[in-house]
Amino acid sequence: MKRTIFFLAVCCAVMSCTKDKTDYEAEIDTIVTEHNEFKEAFAINSEEYKISIEALNGTFYKGYNEIRLKITNTLTNAKVNASAVTFLPIITQADGSTISCPHRYNLQYMSDDSYFSGYSVFTAESNTNESWQLYISFTVSNQTYTVKLPVTVQEQPNKNLNMTTFTGADNEQYFIALISPQKPNVAENELIAGIYKFNKPTNSPPPGTFPDPSQFSYNEVSGYTLLLDPRMPEPSMGNHSSPNNKNLTQQSDGLYHGVVNYTMTGNWTLNLIMLNENGQILKGTKVPGDFTPGVEGAKSELYIDILF
Amino acid sequence: MKKLSVIFLVLFLGMNANAQDAETPRDTSKHLEEVKIIGIAKRKIETEMKMAVSVDEFLASSENISFIKRGAYAWEPLLNNMSSERSTLTIDGMHIFGACTDKMDPITSYVESNNLSTIDIKSGQEGSLHGATVGGSIDLKRKSTPFGLEKKFSGAYQTGFEFNNNQFYNLANASYAGDKLVADGSISFRKADNYYDGNEDEIRHSQYNKFNTSLGLAYKISPLSSVRVEAIFDQAKDVGYPALPMDLWLSRAIITSASYKQLFEEGFVRVWDTKLYFNAIEHYMDDTTRPENLVHMDMPGWSTTYGLVSKINLQEDRYSSEIQLNAYGNTSIAEMRMYPQDRSKRTMFAYSWPWVTTRYTGLSMNNSWEISDKSQLNFGGSLGLNYNYSKYVEFNWIFYPGASQKKNRLLPGLHASYELNINQFDFSVGTGYGHRAPSVSEAYGYYIYNSFDRYDYIGNPDLKNEISYEANASAGFKNEKMSIEAKANYFHIQNYIIGRILSLGSPMNYQSVGVKGYTSLDHAKLFNLTINANYDILQHLHWKGVLNYARATDDKDGNLPFIRPLSYQTSLHFMHKGFSVQTSLNGDFKQDNYSPEYGEDQTPAYMIWNISGDYTFNIKNVKTVLQVGAENIFNEYYSTYADWGNIPRMGRNIFTSLKFNF
Repeated sequence: MKRTIFFLAVCCAVMSCTKDKTDYEAEIDTIVTEHNEFKEAFAINSEEYKISIEALNGTFYKGYNEIRLKITNTLTNAKVNASAVTFLPIITQADGSTISCPHRYNLQYMSDDSYFSGYSVFTAESNTNESWQLYISFTVSNQTYTVKLPVTVQEQPNKNLNMTTFTGADNEQYFIALISPQKPNVAENELIAGIYKFNKPTNSPPPGTFPDPSQFSYNEVSGYTLLLDPRMPEPSMGNHSSPNNKNLTQQSDGLYHGVVNYTMTGNWTLNLIMLNENGQILKGTKVPGDFTPGVEGAKSELYIDILF
Repeated sequence: MKKLSVIFLVLFLGMNANAQDAETPRDTSKHLEEVKIIGIAKRKIETEMKMAVSVDEFLASSENISFIKRGAYAWEPLLNNMSSERSTLTIDGMHIFGACTDKMDPITSYVESNNLSTIDIKSGQEGSLHGATVGGSIDLKRKSTPFGLEKKFSGAYQTGFEFNNNQFYNLANASYAGDKLVADGSISFRKADNYYDGNEDEIRHSQYNKFNTSLGLAYKISPLSSVRVEAIFDQAKDVGYPALPMDLWLSRAIITSASYKQLFEEGFVRVWDTKLYFNAIEHYMDDTTRPENLVHMDMPGWSTTYGLVSKINLQEDRYSSEIQLNAYGNTSIAEMRMYPQDRSKRTMFAYSWPWVTTRYTGLSMNNSWEISDKSQLNFGGSLGLNYNYSKYVEFNWIFYPGASQKKNRLLPGLHASYELNINQFDFSVGTGYGHRAPSVSEAYGYYIYNSFDRYDYIGNPDLKNEISYEANASAGFKNEKMSIEAKANYFHIQNYIIGRILSLGSPMNYQSVGVKGYTSLDHAKLFNLTINANYDILQHLHWKGVLNYARATDDKDGNLPFIRPLSYQTSLHFMHKGFSVQTSLNGDFKQDNYSPEYGEDQTPAYMIWNISGDYTFNIKNVKTVLQVGAENIFNEYYSTYADWGNIPRMGRNIFTSLKFNF
């Protein structure tokens, strides 16, 4: 009996290790917060209609935001089947000028969940000198309602949803925003990004009602390619890269899909080269592939940093 | 087939004539005990040159074993010139797996010479009793005192000092042999500083510090049955690996078992022995001792194994058989965490073994049938089921997208040999066929840095089984004055697993030059030849010599790495009364068949001369042996073909040892 107890005691003593094993999944959670739930971010009433805008975690962040707009009749509490729902975010900058950001102007009605779907790629955070307003209009029973809703855009703490803005070789203004994965793993990750272009207005703004949508037009570019070269910028990683990555190409959802492999957690740079539909380079440079321990890796002219 | 362990019984005390006795069939319970008593007297872990050897040094004295050395400690044993994945390494049949991805801890590093009685080495498929193998098996046999010895208490204490690396050791063991209760205990401390090579240069980071203790208790529950519990605890601290970019801060192993043994006085079944075991290893590397390293890294590893081994011995007239069930489960985890130069930034983490579970269940059988007094047929086989599971398979998918997370493999093995004895001549021929599953590193390893060829290695979960076709033969002659024996084996191994450069990815470890993936060669061929001879020049003067030749090529007839060049060992042994003097010469010829493709360069020839003398006397009832000797007397500066990074070996080393047996 004593021997059995001794044996068990020895076994127990060993079960506890000197150093704890890493809880790798929990560790990523401390760096990256993933949001999966749509919550009301802002709401406003227009006569008897309540317009509610939902976003992930009920917050607008800099970068890509999927938006769900719901219109309810406050008298009946019923969802309203409105038409011609439009959405236009405008930022008033410190100097008083107004610009917009990539967005879907005509929201799409999702009949299953009776909301209007859109997105907005906010290019700046709200601060004391710069503020965002949403201009929303919709039509119910042939009557058009227009509302203006001030909103705040917060810093995106998740670097995996970073974005970048640049002018391409064609002198057009482009935006690339990371959409997925929110929380990468040391694994093959499907990488999804949106590429947007600002359509320079061809006419001067007509006097009268502000805003004129033709002055704030953006679209998802089609047929482009993002060449991908992910690398770890940390000097001690010596320009480390990963295998089996796939360049981003456009899929039926209009977004650009590719594959990025992260070989370990930490800081990564997605080095990009953007090609237009004719295969011409609009932005980005090839980075050296040499393994250079102790030297911080060179970045492409076009890159997005991530961290997990 | 003759057990190789017999070789170790040939001791400097000149008992070689009795060596066959240990082979006495273990007929009945009565006989079993007697055989053991004889066994204890002779089965000592010591070499001809040195009576206080480490387990590594002892293994090195076997002709089938060569070593990859990464420093002064924890050498990786290569059986038949095959790396340790190809052999099964067990302690009393218990499977244990090292927790270090860089093979800094072969399981031979978790035992000590004073808790072992012998090491049982079997070549090729004959070693499949403990599980699927290609190269063979190395089973470390623990000391276990039989019940009811006349002398109830016995023990030994040994101390010694080696001058080259200031190694100081104290080894003690004691046993009690009652009629009902038996106890064995041992404790040992070894501490060594850096050693000096043949040019008197200090080899930095070659120190070590080891503590080992073991306890075994057996209780006779009936005249023919007993239970036994055993445990070994081993701890190594601050161990340097000069050939690697990092050292060991701490490794710890606890090896436990509980067994039940039943003897049968009559009938076909003679012994049934069943054991449950559990062992856990933790291993923490440390690079803070290497300020020259660009990147600070933590690389902890854990390996936990539990298992069952159950064996019955059958005997009927001229037929005897062992049937063994092996079942074990192992979880191997290894992490790497790299620290950025700016420590406030996020560290970088990955698993080098992504929580890999291995489960093996297999049934093995060895039979021997004495056809006549002159000839014997041995045959047997094993059939095992090997299951692997990678918890974080997404790591493996980075290089091998879609690779299987779970993998089942069927591992068959067969062998047969025929022995013939005509007058003074012995002959044997044998053949074997067997599969092995890839090791955890070969299948699931992730950026495991190999400082020999300076590549990061990536495992492939879908590697095919390695399949070995083997043939062996031996011929010997023996008379009263001399004996000579030649042994050869040939392995044709299909799907031979080895690292090849991948054109994918880029290195992760800063010293690395590229990425290699474990891949299957179509086949590889290995040939080993050993000739050994004994000659009794005078009654008290004996000569012994061994010559080893090996050749191994891949499917394109290129050389395989880590194949020992032509090597020799010759020794003279003189004894008179209590005095005994032995001298030996050993060396390798120039390595002609080296493999630049796998990171090898040519190793020049070397020759080492050793001498030692001892004196045995009694202080009252205590038998005392005093030994003084020197290794590498010419202080030759050399490194062998298998020294990682061409780290020079130890220069002249004077050793002293004092042993009391009571």
